[in-house]
Amino acid sequence: MTLCVKRLPLALLVSMALFGAPVQAAKKPAPAPVAVQAEAEPVILDPFEPVNRGVFFFNEVFDAVITTPVKFLYKTLLPDPLRRGIGNVFDNLDDVYIGVNHGLQGRGNLAGNDFARVLINTSIGLGGLFDVASDMGLAKGKGDYGVTLGVWGVGPGPYLVLPVLGVSTLRDTVGRGLRIASDPRTYLEPVPGYSLTGAEYVHVRSTNSATEDLISSSSLDKYRFTRSLFLQRREALINAAKQSN
Amino acid sequence: MLACRCPRPGITTVRHTIAFLLLSLFVGAVAPAWAAGPEDLVRTMASDVTASVRSLPATGNGVNPQLTAIIERDLVPRFDFNRISQIAMGRNWLKASPAEQRQITSEFSHLLIRTYSNAINNLRDMDVVVRSTRSNGSDGDVTVRTQMVGRGSPSSIDYSLSNATGSWKVYDVQVEGISLVAAYRDEFTGLVSSDGVAGVIAALKKKNAR
Repeated sequence: MTLCVKRLPLALLVSMALFGAPVQAAKKPAPAPVAVQAEAEPVILDPFEPVNRGVFFFNEVFDAVITTPVKFLYKTLLPDPLRRGIGNVFDNLDDVYIGVNHGLQGRGNLAGNDFARVLINTSIGLGGLFDVASDMGLAKGKGDYGVTLGVWGVGPGPYLVLPVLGVSTLRDTVGRGLRIASDPRTYLEPVPGYSLTGAEYVHVRSTNSATEDLISSSSLDKYRFTRSLFLQRREALINAAKQSN
Repeated sequence: MLACRCPRPGITTVRHTIAFLLLSLFVGAVAPAWAAGPEDLVRTMASDVTASVRSLPATGNGVNPQLTAIIERDLVPRFDFNRISQIAMGRNWLKASPAEQRQITSEFSHLLIRTYSNAINNLRDMDVVVRSTRSNGSDGDVTVRTQMVGRGSPSSIDYSLSNATGSWKVYDVQVEGISLVAAYRDEFTGLVSSDGVAGVIAALKKKNAR
């Protein structure tokens, strides 16, 4: 025992030395960072800026004249639980595409989660009206064909503003095309097909009001502000998908 | 003397214990040296703001003087608006005279306070959970990653902090990977190239006057 006890003070000394060292190191004044050079300026590819600005302006007018009144009617005429149910039905359909894309990105676990959500919400959730899966702890995923292309190494290409549909890039427009091509609604008769697409558009736009207000109230040049927010968001989604692989 | 014939397994256990103690002391010493400051700051800031917002009666959107007061009290002292303005101006910061730099900082912080006062209204039914803290390159800056949980799917909010002024201050906030300051930099770059530094100040003043 004496032998063992004799060793203890030594251990204490060593540990104190180790304990003390980092604290001392931390006290050393850090070199003052040069803030201006710390952030690299991102390159934004927008060769069609004049055309994009024109379409952006058209969309603003379209929103003011058509989308906003329709949104208002939708919110006033339909009660909140019903609108939530409508959103859940579209989200349930969307989960199928999120699952497909997680699969294409090689994220099998997430794809499994997405398809489990679809199975649960379609059955117990009465055709997707209720998002039971979220309450059971299966979180809703994120992603689309544009993100998958990004994960595969496709760059964003030039920034584009699409009429009515809004901000995009060349890559994400291709992604949107793939989505439309793989959407069963595309192959319905025109009247129900377009009605469903229009309903989803109105619903999605009615849920984004807070973000749109925030952009309007805080931007100095709305075109540039929106462009930056959109491009950053797409980049973040793709990076998150790449990192989790 | 009997004790000196410690059975061998006993010695190994003691050695392991000592090794573990040493390791934990070492790890414990390194982490608080840089993590305790910024992480605690973000945690306290989040709980202060959340508590303040919840103490107010629910209101609609728009500029609310009570929300602005919360920002002034709980957020402003913990933000480095000088550095935020420098980042937003990018290389054009050096084109501005010291007087213009002060003007930009004052007008821009005013605009950001208004913007955030709208955003924090959402904290009424959300909670902020600190996820992790990581070093941000070699300049001593750190990023504290948090998650806003509550209604709907959780969203990530990352705070970049610097200790350059002697106390930890936030100089960027990324919501779901989007930095508001980076979006402003894009706007400021455009304004400087069309109307110069004066154009930025004029645009900020016009926006704040509304």
